[in-house]
Amino acid sequence: MSGVKHYFTVFGYYAKLAIQRQLEYPLFLVSWLLMIPTQYFAGIWMLRIIVDKFQPLEGWTFNDLAFLYGLGLLSHGLVVVFFIPTWGTESAVLRGEFDRLLLRPLNVFFQFITGYFNFIGLIDLIPGIVIFLYAAHAVGFNWGLLSILKLVITIIGGVLIRGGIYTIVGAVAFWTKRSGNLIGMTIATLERTTMYPLTLYPYVVQVVLTFLLPIGFISFYPAESFLGKTASLELPVDMTIGTLIVGLVCMAVAYMVFRQGLRRYESAGS
Amino acid sequence: MRAYGYLMKMRMLTALAYRFDVWIGMIGDIILLAASVFIWKAAYGGDILGSGASVIGLNGMITYTVVSTLMASVFSTGVQDTIYHQVRDGNIALDFMRPLNLLAIYLSEDLGNIVSSVMNKAIPLVLVATLLFGFPMPDSTIAAVLFIISCILSFLILWLMSAMVGLVAFWVSELGNLGMVKDAFVRILSGSLIPLWLFPEWLQQVSAWLPFQYTYQLPLSVYIGLMKPEAALRGMGVQLIWIVLLGGLLSWIWSRARGKVMVQGG
Repeated sequence: MSGVKHYFTVFGYYAKLAIQRQLEYPLFLVSWLLMIPTQYFAGIWMLRIIVDKFQPLEGWTFNDLAFLYGLGLLSHGLVVVFFIPTWGTESAVLRGEFDRLLLRPLNVFFQFITGYFNFIGLIDLIPGIVIFLYAAHAVGFNWGLLSILKLVITIIGGVLIRGGIYTIVGAVAFWTKRSGNLIGMTIATLERTTMYPLTLYPYVVQVVLTFLLPIGFISFYPAESFLGKTASLELPVDMTIGTLIVGLVCMAVAYMVFRQGLRRYESAGS
Repeated sequence: MRAYGYLMKMRMLTALAYRFDVWIGMIGDIILLAASVFIWKAAYGGDILGSGASVIGLNGMITYTVVSTLMASVFSTGVQDTIYHQVRDGNIALDFMRPLNLLAIYLSEDLGNIVSSVMNKAIPLVLVATLLFGFPMPDSTIAAVLFIISCILSFLILWLMSAMVGLVAFWVSELGNLGMVKDAFVRILSGSLIPLWLFPEWLQQVSAWLPFQYTYQLPLSVYIGLMKPEAALRGMGVQLIWIVLLGGLLSWIWSRARGKVMVQGG
């Protein structure tokens, strides 16, 4: 147990350092504070325009879509806060940054992930919280204890799935020395597949996004269940539990891939 | 012998990894494109069509989306990042010592990027988009020609705006990269994602007085034939007016920015 406590203490120090580093130039936050909310509020506003001028998308009204969009954004925001180092695995490999981490008597994956607590990422959570609260109100979300618990578990599961996928994709750099563009592609994919109903896409794509890359569990299937829609995927357990299990499996696989990759790590050339 | 074999293998893998990387970047564009197309398909689906469908049909909308993605993948306005980084790192002082017009240097760099993007991104994107959704046909040959001319003017407007935002770094580099903020606004107000004719009336009226819709929506409307040649020529006239206005503004800011560097002593 003392080991776990030690890790928490270290995480606390790392986070404090990272926050101090990021607050060194407080005005620097301004451009992010202008851009991120603009981008996401514009995204949801465009969905509103499409629904208003056309029709609900595959039976999803604007409020339903906003609920899905908000739920997706919540786990996205948390991943940006906690897992952003995975986006930079390529440069960490190229610059030989793992040398430093390998020399310390702590788990390398832990050091890598917690090495940069992305305080600025909290900005991504602002539109997520606003849109989700609006949509939850609009669809009459029941704020009972059980629903809140389900919501929290769903978000944790979503963060684990996203974090796991980013870890695996980033770790490709251990083998190929490149994963920057691959990460960019994954970010684009995750954005478009967690914020819109999966049923918009062809059946093949839905199958891939459920079994091969379990992206559907991040927000789509849980949103269906919260909104009381007919489930597109039948599970023997509650969808909340399903999301958590998928998340844990994703993270476990990601950890193994990362460990395998680290064995291929050969430090910087020059 | 083994050593030479190893070198050969490594060289081959590096080259392959690079090509693979270029393709991956393109797949990202395809995913964004496909997501938009499927949203339009759902919006136009079924028998009941909303008021939004009255302007153009589904096929026109898909062509609009595909060509818009192509334009975005080709238009390179690295100038805003370049100026921002050069100012932040202080390298701009060295750049000023080059015996060439600095803005012209940045413009030529971006033009070079465009040519390589046409080969590396646009052509593969067209091929894949054609396989998935059919070839995005222009309304007529004249429409295609006017589209290309209008695109050149569009790029100039985008480039001038980027250069201007980049220059802001001379005064407020601690505000971070405002170029990203500008990009977010351009994406929305240019009609690159959703055509402006679907926007609320008041916003359409406001944007008629802004340069944004002349960057994407105008050439795209020409391409799909929503704007007939006479209207297209009038639109290109407006594009020219914007280029003159923005160009004038840019050279004014530029002369002020140069003075700023002298004051800082580089």
